[in-house]
Amino acid sequence: MIPFHLVFPVAILAGFVGAMSGMGGGIILIPALTLLGVDIKHAIAISILSVIATSSGSASAYVRDHITNLKVGMFLEMFTIVGALAGAAITLVSSTRPLYIAFGGVLLGSWLALLLIGHESWHSVSDQDGITRWLELEGSYPDQVLGQTIHYKARRAYLGAPLMFVAGVIAGLLGIGAGAVKVLIHDLVMGLPPKVSTTTSNLIIGVTALAGTSVYLAAGLISPGLAAPVILGVVLGAFLGTRLLVRLSNQSVRRFFLFILLILAVEMIVRGIRGA
Amino acid sequence: MMTEGFNSSPGIQSSAEESRQLGMDVLVGYILLCGVLLSMLLIIIGLVWKYIQSGGIHLDYELAGMNLFQFVVSEVHIAALGEIRPRLLVNMGIVVLMLTPFFRVLASMVYFLAVLKNWKYTVFTSFVLLVLTGSLFLR
Repeated sequence: MIPFHLVFPVAILAGFVGAMSGMGGGIILIPALTLLGVDIKHAIAISILSVIATSSGSASAYVRDHITNLKVGMFLEMFTIVGALAGAAITLVSSTRPLYIAFGGVLLGSWLALLLIGHESWHSVSDQDGITRWLELEGSYPDQVLGQTIHYKARRAYLGAPLMFVAGVIAGLLGIGAGAVKVLIHDLVMGLPPKVSTTTSNLIIGVTALAGTSVYLAAGLISPGLAAPVILGVVLGAFLGTRLLVRLSNQSVRRFFLFILLILAVEMIVRGIRGA
Repeated sequence: MMTEGFNSSPGIQSSAEESRQLGMDVLVGYILLCGVLLSMLLIIIGLVWKYIQSGGIHLDYELAGMNLFQFVVSEVHIAALGEIRPRLLVNMGIVVLMLTPFFRVLASMVYFLAVLKNWKYTVFTSFVLLVLTGSLFLR
């Protein structure tokens, strides 16, 4: 059993990064736990349980600040939850090396896509399609940095929905929030403002993670001795990260997110190839 | 495209409608907050108790594979026997955490149905609730 004083600080860091980026924290937690000697499937199971905590803890603040778009969240949850159940079921029967490589590949893909659009600042969608309008996917949020209320509309829900299923598979499979993928779908496909993207992703992640956790609990992979320090650390980290996010500009959030993604992508792919 | 003659101008809502929408944000926000805080409180009390009892905070036990429903039943059974121990509190913390998103979806569904009277989103949230409930009974 890994000592509390090693797991706890790692979990704080994971929670902090997770909340800042909308990724959910698993992306830091899983590599770190495996470095501490936890088997990757147990790490994935604990991570996805802790993702419920990060997501709920930070989402609670974002939702009350009216930044999260609940309708976008609840519409997309329908697709991502089914994906999460499928993904977790695949992990139970998979061997570990492909899990590492898949993990790194997902991160690297997200990084590349984000980099390509990185210089473009967000502007409101003007050509909302009929389906998205019918789904009432639009809203407004108070931007603390700009000091004004930003109105926005989403678009292409018909494309966002199936892609969210894929994001759900990745989340369940790798025990992460797959927030990176969800943020990308919100940003690139549906045209949401960056802060609405990350905070709505945060909300959706909670439901996806619960579906995944159920599968891992049923498989006996949830270890309370590891869960306790991880949950406490991750929530504390997420609390700190959330308080910082609302004070930052959209550009700083994006730059921070890009940096973290690249480091972890390379790390996981190298470990997968080496045989970890 | 299929707009179904939906002509409301986007972005413009009546203020009563808007305040009901904001009410949902507050409800959902507080459910999430309370769930996480209660879960953490249970885990912290469990760990502190363990520390007082044994001088360490190692919890060296595993959970046998079971679904959340069986997990809750076994924990409630232990609690009913009066065997409240650190381990029970930590387990209850995990249960509360897992039920937090569940209750968030349940509350949203009820709010869409009863307050916003939005059938579309009542159906959407019901579907999510159904799949979640199914997964909690997974074996």
